[in-house]
Amino acid sequence: MKKVMIGNHAVSWGALRSRVEVVSAYPITPQTQVVEALSDMVANGSLEARYIKVESEHSAMAACIGASIAGTRTFTATSAQGLALMHELLHWAAGGRLPVVMADINRAMAPGWTIWTDQNDSLSQRDTGWIQLYCETNQEVFDTTIQSFKLAEAVNLPVMLVLDAFFLSHTSEPVDVTEQEDVDRFLPRREAVFKMDTADPRAFGALVRPDAYMEMRWHQQEAMQEARDVFRRVEDDWEALTGRRYGPVEAYRTEGADLLLVTSGTITSTARHVVDLRRAAGEAVGLIKVKMFRPFPTGELRALLGGVDRVAVLDRNISPGRGGIFAEEIRSALYDVPPEDRPILFGYVLGLGGRDVTPAVIDDIIDNTRMKSRPEREDLWVGVEL
Amino acid sequence: MSDRDITVPRASGRAVPPIAISETSTLVNPTGSWKYILPRYEDRVAPCNAACPIGIDIEGYMVLIGHGRLEEACDLLVSENPMPAITGRVCHHPCEDGCNRASIDQPVSIHAVERRLGDMILAAPPPPVPDRRRSETVAVIGSGPAGLGCAFFLTRLGYGVTVFEAAAAAGGMLRLGIPEYRLPRAILDRQIERLEAAGIEIRTSVRIGTDVPWRDLDRFDAVFVAPGAHLDKDSRIEGADATEGIRPGLEFLKAVNAGERPDLGDHVVVVGGGNTAMDCARSALRLGAAVTVVYRRTPVEMPAIPQEVKEARTEGVGFVFLAAPTAATTRNGRLLGIECQRMELGPPDESGRRRPVPMDEGRFSVMADTVLTAIGEDCDLSFLPDAVRTSWGLLEVDALGESTVAPVFAGGDAVDQPRSVADALGAGKRAAIGIDHYLRERAGEEPGPVPLDEVRLGGSGNVSVMRYAGGSDPIPRESPVNEVVTWEQMNAHHFRTVPRHEDHFHSAIDVRAAFGEVNFGLTRREAVEEAERCLNCGVCNRCELCLIFCPDMAITRREDGGFEVDMRYCKGCGLCAAECPRGAIVMTREGL
Repeated sequence: MKKVMIGNHAVSWGALRSRVEVVSAYPITPQTQVVEALSDMVANGSLEARYIKVESEHSAMAACIGASIAGTRTFTATSAQGLALMHELLHWAAGGRLPVVMADINRAMAPGWTIWTDQNDSLSQRDTGWIQLYCETNQEVFDTTIQSFKLAEAVNLPVMLVLDAFFLSHTSEPVDVTEQEDVDRFLPRREAVFKMDTADPRAFGALVRPDAYMEMRWHQQEAMQEARDVFRRVEDDWEALTGRRYGPVEAYRTEGADLLLVTSGTITSTARHVVDLRRAAGEAVGLIKVKMFRPFPTGELRALLGGVDRVAVLDRNISPGRGGIFAEEIRSALYDVPPEDRPILFGYVLGLGGRDVTPAVIDDIIDNTRMKSRPEREDLWVGVEL
Repeated sequence: MSDRDITVPRASGRAVPPIAISETSTLVNPTGSWKYILPRYEDRVAPCNAACPIGIDIEGYMVLIGHGRLEEACDLLVSENPMPAITGRVCHHPCEDGCNRASIDQPVSIHAVERRLGDMILAAPPPPVPDRRRSETVAVIGSGPAGLGCAFFLTRLGYGVTVFEAAAAAGGMLRLGIPEYRLPRAILDRQIERLEAAGIEIRTSVRIGTDVPWRDLDRFDAVFVAPGAHLDKDSRIEGADATEGIRPGLEFLKAVNAGERPDLGDHVVVVGGGNTAMDCARSALRLGAAVTVVYRRTPVEMPAIPQEVKEARTEGVGFVFLAAPTAATTRNGRLLGIECQRMELGPPDESGRRRPVPMDEGRFSVMADTVLTAIGEDCDLSFLPDAVRTSWGLLEVDALGESTVAPVFAGGDAVDQPRSVADALGAGKRAAIGIDHYLRERAGEEPGPVPLDEVRLGGSGNVSVMRYAGGSDPIPRESPVNEVVTWEQMNAHHFRTVPRHEDHFHSAIDVRAAFGEVNFGLTRREAVEEAERCLNCGVCNRCELCLIFCPDMAITRREDGGFEVDMRYCKGCGLCAAECPRGAIVMTREGL
C-alpha cells in the first residue's frame, strides 16, 4: 500500500506496524505530529497500546523505561531541548539494556531559539549508549522505525532513529507502507530478556560495586559491537520482505572516484544530485552516506575511504572547540589506514540552524576541496557572512 | 612480569549479571519501616447526599450503576426513598446544587437518573411484604409524601401501619396539587399500588375528626399526623367576596387535577410566586387562557422551583413583578380586572427576603376574567386535641417528629419545614425512626438515645434508615466517616469534562393544549451515561488508581473488590491519597 505522507507520519506508521504497546511522549515542534497521529491511532483503536500523557520529556522516557522493564514494546519521539531534558534517562535506558525505540527529529539547540534542523541535539547524546540511525527519505524513516525494534530487541539496546526537521518531518513523499501481516512475520512480539516479575520483585538499576560495574559496561560495549552484525541480518530480512536495504553506510557512484563526499540525513539527496551532474560532466566524484552513527561503521568507512585522494565530510553540526562531529569520527577511523592510502580530509561545517544546503553549496565544496592542497583548519565553515 | 594479556576478559567463574538487577527479591527490604504516616481508606459522604432532604445514598447507587449493577442500584435507592419515580419528576433536586461536578462542567442530572431508576422499579414486580417483626401498629393521617413515606419506613421496620386519607384516592398533594403534566396519574397510581403491595393499608375517604373520631385512634400504639396544608390564605383583595371571578388557586388545581376543565375566560391573573402559583398558571394556560403571574417581589425572591418558572415562561406565561393586587374591578358581580399597587423592595423581613413596600403613585390595572390566588396555604388542625401544641398554625415537633403529646408524631406541610415533596418524605422518615425508638423504649427495650449525629448524613443532612436500622451495604464502605467530602479533598486531575444530558421536553407549542407529561426525562442509555459522569465523591468505586500509583506495589486487591495495603512495604509516601480522585484515602499517624 502506497501512501503519501510526511516524515513524521512515516514514523507513526512505522510504530503502528511494529505494534508498539506503550507510547509515552511530550509534544515539541517539529516532532508533534508523530505522537499526535499515534494518540489518534490509540484513541480510534487501530493501535492497541497504552498512550501515557506526561508533563515532560524526562517523564516520557521514564515511563518508557518502566513500561519496557515490564516487558512491553515502547516508543517515544522528541526533538532538541526535549531530547536534552531526557539526557539522564537515556543512560538509564541504555545501561538497563532496554530496547526502547525513539525518533529524534533533528532540531538545532537553543539558544538562539530555533525550530529548524541540525544534528547537534542527537549528536550531543553520542555517549549515552544509544544506537543512532540517520535517515534520508520518508520511506527510509518508515523502514528504519520497524527495523529499529528488531535491532533493539535483539541486542537489548535502545535505538534512536533520526530525521531532519521539516526537510523530512514536514515534507510529503510517497511511502510504501508494508502490510501488517508482513511486518508481523518480520517482527514478532517482544520476548523480554530482563523483565520485571511482580511475583518475584527485584530492584532494577540497583547499586553496583566497583567490582562489577565495569563488567556491565563491557557487556554493553559488546552488545554495541554485536549490533553491527545484527543490523546486517535485520536488513537481510527486511530486504527479503520488501526489496529495500540501506546499509550502515551507502556508497553512491564511488567507482574510480578521486573525491568522495560524506553526508548524512537529507543533505545526502542534494549531494546525490550534484554527484550525478558532475559524473555526467565526466568528473570522478562519488558519495558516501553514513546512516549508522552508533555503533560507528569504522570498518566500512576505512574500506571505502582508504586510497581515495580527497574526502569532503559535510557536517550539519558542530562540536565547539573541535569541529564537525562526523569529520572528527572519520579522521579518527582513518588513523589506522596506511599513510599512503590515507585521504586528505576536508571537514565542512554547514547548514546549522536549518540553513539551506543547496546544490550550489555542494558544488562550491567540491571545487574548494579540489582547489586547496590541504585544509587550512579542522573546521571549514561554509557560507558564513560576518 | 606477567605474560597474561590484561586486555582480554578473564574467565573468573563469577556470575556478573549483564544489568544492574538485585540478586535477591526486594521483598527482603521492608520499606514499610521508613514511614511516619500511613494511608487509610476512609469513605465519606457525598455533598449531594448531604443536601438531599430525603437522605438518599446517591453516591452509593451511582457507583452501582457505574459497575452495571442496576438492580442493586434500584434496591439501594428504594431503601431510602419509597417513591423515586415521583421525586425524580417533581423534586426540586437540591442534590444537584451540591454536586461537585459543577466545579468541572455541570452537575450530574441526578433527578433524571433517579427518575429512570424509579420507572424501572415501577416496571418490576413488587418486592415481598416485609416481615411483621413488631406487634405494635401505627396510624398515619394523610397519604401525601410525608404520610406514605413514614408508613413505608415503618413497615420496613416491622410495624403494622394503617393510613387514613380524607380524599377519595391516596396521594395527598401529589394527587390534589401537582398537575398531571408534571406527574402523570398512571405513575402516581402505580407507585401507590406498589406501596400497598409492600404491606401498607390505606383507607381512603376517611377524615379523622369527622368520619372517625380522634379517640378511635387509641387502638394504635402511635399516630403520625401529616394532613398537609389545604386552606388557601386570604388574598385580602378588596371586593373579592363580591365576585366569583376571584378563586383560591389550590381549589382550582384540585378541580383540574380531579378532571374538571373549568372555563376561566380569556384572561387569567395568578397572584403569587410559589409552586402553587406556577401550577395554577400553567394549568390555566392549558385551558386556553392568556395568563399573567403577578408577584409582589422580584424573580430572585420567588419561592417556586426555578425550573418550573422557566418552563412557565417557555410555555408563554407572562410575569409582572413588584406588584400587589389590592382591589377587584367588577360590573354586576362579573370580574373585569384587578387593581395593583406598584411595590419596591425595602429592608429584609424575618424570612431574610427583602420586604416589598408600596411605592407612591404606583397604581395600575390588569384585565382579568379570573384571578387565582396562590399566596400560601394554612393547615386545618381542628381535629387534633388542644394539648397538641401548635405555633403559628403549625405543629411543634422535635428532630424526630415527636409532638408535645405522646404518642403523636407529625411531619410534612403541617410542621415548620420547607414545603416540598422531598422535605415531606424526609420528615416521614425521621418520624418513622422517632416512632420506632419511642415504641422500643415503651416496650422496655432500652434502646438508648438515637445517635442523631451518626444517622444524619454528613452530620447535618437528613437521616438514613440504613444507618439507623443497619442493612447490608452493596458497596461496603471502608471505615466510613460521617463527614461530607470537600472538593479540596478530591483530585480533579483524573476527571475529564463530559457534557450533561439535559431532559427531553415536549415543545412549548404542543403542551399548551394538553395535560400530558411535559418532561420526558432521559433515555435509559443517557441516564446510565449521566450516572457514569458521577464522580462518586467520597466513595471508593474501585477505580484502581491507588494500586496503579503505588510505587512500592504495596496495594493489592482483596477478593471483595476493595484494596489492601501491605504495611510491611508501604513507605508512607502518600501518593495513593494524593491521587485518589474521590478523597477516599487519608494519610494518618494512627496505627503506626
